Amino acid sequence: MEVLARIPQLLVYGLVSGSILSLGGIGVSLTYSILGFSNFAHGDVMALGAYLALALLPLMSAAGISNHPLGSLSFGLDFVAALVLATMGTCAVGLVLDRVLFRRLRGAGRITLMIATVGVALGLRNVLQFFWGPQPRYYSAKIQLAAVIPGLGIRIKPDQVFIVSTAVGLAVLLHLFLRYTKIGKAMRATADNASLARISGINTERVIAWTWIIGSALAAVAGVLIGIENKFVTPELGWQMLLPIFAAVILGGFGNPYGAVVGGMAVGVSEEVSTAFISAAYKPAVAFVILILMLLARPTGLLGRRS
Amino acid sequence: MSLLSVRGVESGYGDMQVLYGIDLDVEAGQIITIIGPNGAGKSTLMKTVFGLLKPTKGRIEFEGREITGLSADRIVRRGLAYVPQVENIFPSLTVCENLEMGVFIGDRVPLGRLDQIYELFPSLVTRKRMRVGKMSGGERQMVAMGRALMLDPRLLMLDEPSAALAPNFTATIFERIVAINKAGTAILIVEQNAKESLRISHRGCVFAAGLKCFEDSGPAILANKDIGRLYLGGE
Amino acid sequence: MEQLIGVVNYLVFFAISAGIYAVLSLGLNLQWGVTGLFNIGVAGFYAIGAYTSALVCGLPPSAWDGRMVGGFELPFALGLLAAMLVSGALALAIGIPTLRLRADYLGIATIGIAETVRLVLKNEAWLTNGVWGLQQIPSPLYSVIHRHAAAYISAHPGLPEWQRLLISRAYNWFYLILVGAVLIAVYFILKRLIRSPWGRVLRAIREDEDAAAMSGKNVFAFKLQSLALGAMIMGIAGALYAHSVRFISPASFEPLYGTFIVWVMLMVGGTGNNKGAMLGAVVVWGIWAATDFVAGYLPWSAPQVAALRIIAIGLLLEGVIVWRPKGILPEGRANHRAP
Repeated sequence: MEVLARIPQLLVYGLVSGSILSLGGIGVSLTYSILGFSNFAHGDVMALGAYLALALLPLMSAAGISNHPLGSLSFGLDFVAALVLATMGTCAVGLVLDRVLFRRLRGAGRITLMIATVGVALGLRNVLQFFWGPQPRYYSAKIQLAAVIPGLGIRIKPDQVFIVSTAVGLAVLLHLFLRYTKIGKAMRATADNASLARISGINTERVIAWTWIIGSALAAVAGVLIGIENKFVTPELGWQMLLPIFAAVILGGFGNPYGAVVGGMAVGVSEEVSTAFISAAYKPAVAFVILILMLLARPTGLLGRRS
Repeated sequence: MSLLSVRGVESGYGDMQVLYGIDLDVEAGQIITIIGPNGAGKSTLMKTVFGLLKPTKGRIEFEGREITGLSADRIVRRGLAYVPQVENIFPSLTVCENLEMGVFIGDRVPLGRLDQIYELFPSLVTRKRMRVGKMSGGERQMVAMGRALMLDPRLLMLDEPSAALAPNFTATIFERIVAINKAGTAILIVEQNAKESLRISHRGCVFAAGLKCFEDSGPAILANKDIGRLYLGGE
Repeated sequence: MEQLIGVVNYLVFFAISAGIYAVLSLGLNLQWGVTGLFNIGVAGFYAIGAYTSALVCGLPPSAWDGRMVGGFELPFALGLLAAMLVSGALALAIGIPTLRLRADYLGIATIGIAETVRLVLKNEAWLTNGVWGLQQIPSPLYSVIHRHAAAYISAHPGLPEWQRLLISRAYNWFYLILVGAVLIAVYFILKRLIRSPWGRVLRAIREDEDAAAMSGKNVFAFKLQSLALGAMIMGIAGALYAHSVRFISPASFEPLYGTFIVWVMLMVGGTGNNKGAMLGAVVVWGIWAATDFVAGYLPWSAPQVAALRIIAIGLLLEGVIVWRPKGILPEGRANHRAP
């Protein structure tokens, strides 16, 4: 059974792409639970982060930060610096979007807001295309050697370990933030009951600002991780990620950031394992099928609305 | 000067007008109960005072300063607190976290305050880290009131505090309300369970069809046979 | 004079496109404007209609085609009918699992269906010829009209240049009339349907679904009918498109052209209003064409200019949402009353 023999390796690939989907999904769930609408521009915010990092990279080396590869990773400190700055830039864009557009639509219907996010998605994507063109932009021309895990016969690259650990690390950080900081608790409170939050004196505008900051930051990092994994980015990246991310979010439970992690891993693994049986071009369709099945069987998701 | 003074307030939801001109005073340290049939505007008045609804006419003053039309989070800073009838706690947060939300606008939780709240509601002490969504109705009501009391408000507004509570719990709640009042907080209550509430109140008002149609001291209303027949389900 | 005719010929071409988009907008208006169904997968139904009609009416696979089926060379009317039926069937397939759910879920599901349709169109070359698309889609009465026009021109050698330019484009005039006729037919049929008791239930569902359910209506069935009928109209538009451009490929149905621009048209023109839907199509298509003209004068490269044009439409959408969410022509009073 040659096909079955490939599955452990595909599981590993699935964990890697699942980590990225989880990061993206957490942002979507967070935005939904606090702001009350699905943000269809989230994928394009991820792409924005990826492109910003790419653009800032040469500036980092020029600033004297070394590009010597860190350990066995394919990138150096300059890339990490670019990632950090790109994340900050993306957060700024998120805040501006809220201030300029979404704040004016606070009372608007959920569907109107979603249409607005579709407009933002297209706008962002084309801004990227305007500055960087429709052709793929390469993160790295180098091929990285995969390490083989003995005994299991699975290959994994150091970069992929980085991806999974970054995603896990950020998820843990977010958990701690939501659990133990004042604003994190306020965010959870607002997600539970926005009106009561206001009655209690919580500054919901500040909570919303933090939601955009965290959501954009996670999106930016996820975008950069995609660049590391696929080696290139295109402006279409965002829209392509939308379907699997939403499948992950629905699978885990809409509005539940912890569910997004579970869902992200599940969708990632399913997509990769599916390539053993059907053409890789249909990976998004796999996500779509998961989505539909979930909506039919259990619309509240595996973990339900709240953790 | 009254603690809370409501003059000629008209309010409603969008096109639907509910209050047609309400005058009401709450004196410091008093307990006042508003009773009346459904739709009379009792809850609407509370929401209007607390800034959740904007009045179309009228003036509301608290401690002599105008608060008409201010948003809820500004009103909390003035020393008022409000416990809605339903959805009045954060279900996925623990008891402790719910109470902390009550002092969000402060820098940190005032040291003694949490202890005072736990003194008031001792059964919450063992449940500090429990998710409020998993608790019984009565305990949830205590958390809701505790949250509202964290900032030591001068006026506490309660919307049907005994609604959906088991009868034995109702007595506890009203007893707690008296204790809160003894500590110096004025309390404005809207209630269906009118008898229990009037028993502990200094004054009572009867609302009907968006107007205040009767007002007297708590004991007097209880003793009033007509009011009793119309609104209290007979004596 | 020749330049004037050049402009006129361009306007005919413009009007054909605007007319096709107007049909699409009417379909979306039925689903979203009247019934409140959040369909972001317009491109899927549009594409399916186009491909169905092309496969039904087109030529059989040639030696160097990737595909192996299709091309029955049937008349245009049958192609149109097939497009309607297949689009409608697709809507039923997607509607049955999702219409009981909330708006966002329907939205995501429709994005999914449009993406899946596109994937199938790109990858199943045996059916669709993949990315190389379908060529030589026959236009109805093309050879007849072309022959007559050519015969007329050669019979009148002394014809003024401007008349020659006009008549050589005679087919476009015919197609414009065809599109116009279809548009008017769809408009009037929709008008009757929306004014009927059936239509009133749809509007009630949009206004307050729970109230409509409590008055005993099978909300799910009505939503399904609205989705399917709207999809059929979009399929018709797809067929009209395929036969006018005579070549289609998956790239023609990017989410931008198929879905987003139709939403902008409906929102600009007036959600819930059929005349608004058509007006929005003309206005937004006009803005789009205008940006094409302006683009010629801008110093940037072609992909950059293309991106700017889309950003412009995006800004238009956001502007409408913030400042005039009801659109140019608000929903008429007759449309407001629930039963």
